Amino acid sequence: MSVRDLLSPFTAWKNLFREPVSIKDPFNRPASERYRGFHKNDSEKCIGCGTCEAICQNGAIDMLPADGVATQPGDSGLRPRIDYGRCCWCALCVDVCMTGSLTMSNEYKWVEADPDKFRFMPGVDKKHWDDYEDGYRRPDGHRLNAPERIDMPELAPAQRIDSFVEMVTGYTVEQAQLEADRCVTCGICVATCPTHMAIPDYIRAIRDGDYERGLKLLYDSNPFSQICGKVCTRRCETTCAASHEGDPIAIRWLKRHITEQVPHERYREIIGAPGPATGRKIAIVGAGPAGMTAAFDLARAGHQVTVYESESHAGGMTRYGIPEYRLPSDTIQREIDLIVSMGVEMHYNTRVGTDISMQQLQQDNDAVILAIGLWMGRSTRIPGSDHANVFKAVDLLRRIRDGEAIEAPKSLVVIGGGNVAMDIARSMARLQKQQHGEIAVTLTALEDKAHFLADPVEIKESIEEQIHILDSRGPQECVIGDQGGLVGLRTWKVLSIFDEQHRFAPSYDENDEQLHKGEWVIEAIGQMSDVSLLGEELTEQLEWNRGRLQVDDDGRTSESWLWAAGDCVKGPDVVTAVATGHKVAASIEAVFAQQEAQT
Amino acid sequence: MTEGRGYQRMKAQSSLKDILAVATEFERTARDFYADLAPKVSKQIRYLVEELAEEEQRHFDLFTQLQSRADIEEMLQEQVDTPASDGRFSDCIHLPELGDKPDDQAVLQYALGREHAAMEQYHSLAESTAPGPIHDLFKFLAAEETQHKAELEKIYYEVVHSGGV
Repeated sequence: MSVRDLLSPFTAWKNLFREPVSIKDPFNRPASERYRGFHKNDSEKCIGCGTCEAICQNGAIDMLPADGVATQPGDSGLRPRIDYGRCCWCALCVDVCMTGSLTMSNEYKWVEADPDKFRFMPGVDKKHWDDYEDGYRRPDGHRLNAPERIDMPELAPAQRIDSFVEMVTGYTVEQAQLEADRCVTCGICVATCPTHMAIPDYIRAIRDGDYERGLKLLYDSNPFSQICGKVCTRRCETTCAASHEGDPIAIRWLKRHITEQVPHERYREIIGAPGPATGRKIAIVGAGPAGMTAAFDLARAGHQVTVYESESHAGGMTRYGIPEYRLPSDTIQREIDLIVSMGVEMHYNTRVGTDISMQQLQQDNDAVILAIGLWMGRSTRIPGSDHANVFKAVDLLRRIRDGEAIEAPKSLVVIGGGNVAMDIARSMARLQKQQHGEIAVTLTALEDKAHFLADPVEIKESIEEQIHILDSRGPQECVIGDQGGLVGLRTWKVLSIFDEQHRFAPSYDENDEQLHKGEWVIEAIGQMSDVSLLGEELTEQLEWNRGRLQVDDDGRTSESWLWAAGDCVKGPDVVTAVATGHKVAASIEAVFAQQEAQT
Repeated sequence: MTEGRGYQRMKAQSSLKDILAVATEFERTARDFYADLAPKVSKQIRYLVEELAEEEQRHFDLFTQLQSRADIEEMLQEQVDTPASDGRFSDCIHLPELGDKPDDQAVLQYALGREHAAMEQYHSLAESTAPGPIHDLFKFLAAEETQHKAELEKIYYEVVHSGGV
């Protein structure tokens, strides 16, 4: 042993005079500004999508109901609970959060005697770090999923304005997969869809390239999937988690993409054949989405279904109310053919109430469904509105879809700010372009543009197609000239439509008067059902609720043999009509089952 | 037009009693009109006509009670300026030709026209009277008619502008 070895332990004594490296009181040491400490969650901003739960690699997050948080459209009502026995503070949950509600404070100290306390709901279980400014949040521009949707290819205005050719061309496989990749599969959209389509699952099928599985998922809940893939009102997209910090997923276009990828001759095999015959008979009045959905469900259950349709083709307002450039006839026909192939018997050009009575349908069947839609247009009934050149939009749209040669006027005025108004304006613009080479369509609406009832995309495309849109104009008179011809529409400026209680109470500036010149005026302000087919006796027998047929939650009327579904019950919307069609079919099935159990 | 009503139109002033009598008649004729109409219209829209008849009955009762109150007998003799809206108001006592089977829109348009005339009339009367019990009475009546018109406009929008359902 050397002298050095003997002395070296004493060299440590030199440290007696150095500043200590360790901190005597670590509990008061602040963490760095961007330290990943305990979680915070803005419960108001959180939508309970569960994307944080899905991404957590340690299974440290559970989505659970929280006190004071209600389930509502676009919000599951659940909130993340974090288990600090599992969390590794990787912050993936923060990085993926769709609303930016989940962040981390830079607090790192938390002392508890009870280990269960370390499972907590940030934002719900109040903590002192909830108000901390410092900590980790997703840096601006740092996104795990793409915020912008893949644009749907469509014909340019100049290419489409002189024809009724479908303007949307559909996604390619590559485009659809890129768009599908944006979806985080949270499923918030499912509750908002009236017919609760399995949206995350069919989007996953696109990612997997398994289109037949996707098609099966579509038709499990919607026999109008091809049609809804083109014209759905897509409420699902309004609640999409991706819409909080970017564009919503193009759910409608992805649905369309699936239907376009599977050969049509494969559809029936994928969807499946109907069950064995039950001997039960059901009559359905109206071959629109509600009636045909009910027919699809009931025929697949093995019942004998007969549909009575007053028009020459099935499809209801999807065929006779939506223009060809948005929804081609062959798409509708494929859908109808598929439903009819389940064994549904169709009676076209048959008007119930004239060709066959409701009483007869009652006698011949075990159940009857009314799905008569909203085929009658409302009129403003302003002075001059009874002139021969004042038309109702739904009547004109039907004539155009029916192939009638319409001689378009050189100028016209449309009253209304909804989708029907846009549809007729754009259809007439096409006819004007074809016949006169020029477009002169003025559209006037009570509402200001921010409150139009029409889909914003419809408004944008109308403007692209040279429709002259004038908002906040109240129609006062269809002006008739000295020779008896229609001169145009006189309007006043609308100052407000609703009062403080949001009641309809239009007020006008009478000094701001305009005459919009037009050889025709087309009214597109509202629609109603033609219930005359019921006859006076049945109308008296039935219970009504403020002008509508009274139905229970299952769509059954006060007459035990009669159900009602679709626009005539719930208002104009294809996917809602599909949902009500399912509902009445399920109700009838339940009644049949009950009857069989009693015998 | 009756001679009596023509004479009333020419008068610059009317007693409160006369005004209330016309108002009572205004409500009575409407009530009877709606009550007669209710069984004729389709059951689908009967609720609307029945609700209108009930509302007019409520107003009729209110005016009848007012006229019979002993504590305002003196007040009833007071002269009030006849407002410009008087003609339109009186015209509404005359019943419209809605046909045998009027639809909901026709009934609503008629009812809205009446409520508007009544609202204008009571507003004008309130403006032409000095602050006091009569002024307050007309203000109350104007508010009643305004409220009813607002309710009818809401129904009109729902029925005519919202797809009928």
